[in-house]
Order: sequence, then structure tokens, then C-alpha cells
Amino acid sequence: MPAFKIGRRIGSLAVLVVAYVFLLGPIVFVMVASFDYGSRAYVVFPPETFTLDSYRNIPGRYWNALWVSIIVACTCSLVACLIGIPAALGIVRGNMRGKGLLLALFRAPLQIPGVVSGVAFLQAYYMIGGLTGWYANGSFVGFALAHIFAATPYVVGTLVSVLQRFDGALEEAALTLGASRFATFRQVTLPVLRPALFAGALYAFMISFGEVPMSVFLAGSSYVTFPVEVFNTMLVDFEPTVLAVSTLVTLASLALVVVVQYAVGLGSFVKTEPID
Amino acid sequence: MKARWEYLLIPPLIFSSLLLVVSQFVFLQGSFRRDLGIGRLGHELGLFNYAQVLADPYYLETLKLSLFVSVSATVLTLLLAFPVAYVIARMRSRWAMVLLAAVVTSSFVTIVVKVLGIILIFSNNGPFNKLMMWIGLVAEPISIIGSLSGVVIGLMYYSFGFAVLLFYSVVVTVPRSVEEAAEVHGASRFQVFVQVVLPLAMPGIVAGALMIFNVSMGGFSSTALIGAGKVLTLPVVIQRTMLLETSFGMAAALAAVLLVSVLLINLVSVAIAVRSQKGLVV
Repeated sequence: MPAFKIGRRIGSLAVLVVAYVFLLGPIVFVMVASFDYGSRAYVVFPPETFTLDSYRNIPGRYWNALWVSIIVACTCSLVACLIGIPAALGIVRGNMRGKGLLLALFRAPLQIPGVVSGVAFLQAYYMIGGLTGWYANGSFVGFALAHIFAATPYVVGTLVSVLQRFDGALEEAALTLGASRFATFRQVTLPVLRPALFAGALYAFMISFGEVPMSVFLAGSSYVTFPVEVFNTMLVDFEPTVLAVSTLVTLASLALVVVVQYAVGLGSFVKTEPID
Repeated sequence: MKARWEYLLIPPLIFSSLLLVVSQFVFLQGSFRRDLGIGRLGHELGLFNYAQVLADPYYLETLKLSLFVSVSATVLTLLLAFPVAYVIARMRSRWAMVLLAAVVTSSFVTIVVKVLGIILIFSNNGPFNKLMMWIGLVAEPISIIGSLSGVVIGLMYYSFGFAVLLFYSVVVTVPRSVEEAAEVHGASRFQVFVQVVLPLAMPGIVAGALMIFNVSMGGFSSTALIGAGKVLTLPVVIQRTMLLETSFGMAAALAAVLLVSVLLINLVSVAIAVRSQKGLVV
């Protein structure tokens, strides 16, 4: 191999190493540090001890917050799909004008910064509360509505891009061969959509699960999602159990993402929308 | 009978529009009302809050700071993400897919955990300061908590992952053969990159840069945690105004300023995308 080619390879490798250390370093470091629990209020690197103490001492409030997050994220994912499927089918297949405008409307929440939506939803909840006496902030419904608002564009986006490439001839063939409209939808359309649907559902779940800027506004004193609980802990002070519970949650979400990616293929995931 | 798919749109359209219109309408009309303290708003409508944003040096400083950290984060993200995307797109091995999968997967980890890791890495006893002191670049540990550079680093984590994916999809549209042709004719590697790849990828880079800038303008969690009350960008000030000072009108006005500036930048990026599709952007 000529020398300039070796030089080029080293250059490429250096770029990759810097980027991936930057990208994955913090995540890996939280995991490493979680095993080094001391009476200290700070972390030493490289770790001096190995212990599972921080795992044994995870306070109950984290588990409560995790439970809130899981329920909200499942609801958000489900509802986002229930909205996203008909929306995407209607936009791609419908026979009307202004499809671009409709798509823009469904994608509008992507353009709104989380903090702005947080202010918007909290003030809307206060207004509704003032009228009806029922305040949605600090409740399951309050979180779920805001998260559905933020997550639906991802489901609509993945489904629309698959539907646009989907050849209608398959369905016509099924219809011509005598399948009912419902059977065609269930046996032809849905299987084609399934990877995009799984990808969209996972996006919706993870967006809800990791959402901070809106949830900070909507959190109640006792009803809090997991990332907001961690956020609040970090604002006040540092304690090693936060590393342990973060490690567990990170591993669980990575496992979920990898399993779904493996099941439906990476192609459905390589998309270019920022996740806040 | 022809299928009437458009009827399917009606329920999702009602639900989504309701969420969008109700939330945005309430806060926007609130931004035109005077704060009476503890979350109460006056009835009279007017531009008082907006006038105060433009007149008060505190808010102007906030705006300037937000623009500064967002521009810095955008430039640094571009400088790191584009070369990575380029290297991955030009790899001829199965590792390319693994590297992309790692980017996608890591983008699903909540930002709060990443910020926790950043704070640990840059803490006084963390690996960064140990390395810097071992090399001899610094004598005392440097802290990123409450510093502008720390906030910029934190913001980069919002957009780095999707920037790599976006630029990857841009670079793969530039045919390898174009680069090879330039090399055959005697261009150096650097010349090929600057004179062939960059111009062809420019519309994608501009669109990507605007998206990164937008995300950075809205970046809240990492700035609040790393800035630690010392770096007051617009999203952080909005949160404080709303939750600590309970000035709903002022918070709404600041949120409206952020929203409008982000939407304007989006319009510009859409216009650029449309023009580049028509081949008008060089």
C-alpha cells in the first residue's frame, strides 16, 4: 500500500475515534462510574473500587418516576400511532389539494422548541383549570397530551415516507383476486407498513421517555417523569445512586432500540430529524 | 367504488389541530397581557411585554448569548460531523452500518444521562482534567460548570447524531466517480474535498447547519444543567420567568420571540432546499 494511502487511513481513523469518543464517552463513563460508589460526593477516574452499593441504594423516588415515564411513554406511543396511521394514509392516498400544507401541519410540533411547548401547554392547562376546576399539570393526562403532541410528527413522518414509495399495484392485485378491502389492508398494506410503524412507535416511545423541556413545566411535586427527576436531582446536588439508575435505564433503552432495529432493519431508522 | 382515503384524515386532523391551536393560542394571547404577579394576567391587551424585551438590557443580553452559543455549537458540530459522515459514506466495509447504528442508538439515550456523563468527564478529578494536567496543558483543573464552553459542548450533543446521519445521506449522493475523476487529473486529496465534495454537498450542509442552529437555540436541559444558573440563554430564562418568577405574560412573550426566530430560520432553510432542488444554489 502506498504511503499516502496509509496516511489517509490514519486520518480517517483519527476522525472516527474523536467523534465516537465524543458521542459515546459520556454514556460509557456514567456506566463505569456507577460501580465506584464511595462516601465521596464526586467521581474519581480511573475507578478506585468496584462495588454495587449504588445499585442497592437506589431511592424509591426513581422507581416511581420510572413507572410514570413508562406508562406515559407507552400511552404516547400507542396514541401517536393511532393518530399517525390514518393521518399518513389520508395524506398520501387522499384525493385532495394542499397535501403539502397538511403534512406541514402534522409536522409543525417539530419546529416548536420544547421550552415554548412547555410554556404553551402549562398556560393552556391553567386556563382549562380556571374554567373547569381540573388542572392537567402534574398528572398523567398532562404529560401524555404534551408528549403525544411532540411525538406524532415522527410517526407521521416515517409512515408517509414509506407509503410514498409503496406500490399501489400490490393492493390492486389483491382486490382483483377477490380479497375484501379490509382483508387487503390487513394482509397487504399493514405488513408493508410494519417496519415503519415499529420504527415510528419506538421513536414516539423514546421521545416521550427522554423528554425534559416540556415535562419540566408540567411536572407536579409528586408526579414526575424519570428524566425530570434526574434533572431535578442534578440541579440540587450529586449523589452516586443517580449513576446506577441512569445506567440501568440506559442499558434497558439501548437493548430495546437494538432489538427493534434488528427486528425491522436499520433502514427504517436512519433518518434526519433532530431529537430534543 | 373508489376508496376515499381522505376521510381517514378527519379524526387525526381534529386531534392534532386542537393540541396545536389551543396550546399556541393560549400562550400567544397571554404574551399580550400584563403580569399582575403570581401567575395572574391583566385583561388589557398590548405590546408591553415585547417592549420590555427590547428595552431591557437583561433580555437583550440573553438573546445575544443564545445566538452566540448556538452559532458556536453549529460551527463545531459541522466541523466534527461532516468529516465523520464523509469517512463513513466512503468506507467500503460492513463497519459503516455498525457505525451508523451506533449513532442512531446513542441518539435514543436521554440527554440528561449524557449531560451527567459530560459533567463527570470534565469534573476536577475526571479523565479530561487528569489528561490535561498529565500533558501539562493546564496546571489547575478547569471546570466547565457555569462556563460558555461547557454550554456549547452540551448543545453539540443535541444535534451531533442527526447531523452525522443527515450529512451521510448528503455525501452518498455525491458519486465516488466524480472524486476519482478529479484525482486522476492530479487533484490532491484536500483539493478533491474542498473543490469537489464540499461544493456538491453545499445545499445539504447549509440546510443541516440551519437545523443544527435551530435545535441549539431551543436547547434547554443541557444548558440549564451545565450553565448552572450562570449561562442564561433564552430557553433557560423562559423557564425561570415562568416557574420561578411566575410571570406568565413575560414568559409567553419570550417564548414567542424564540418561536418566531426559530420559524424564520426554518423558512429560510425550506427556501434554500426548494431552490437547491431547482438547481439554483451553487
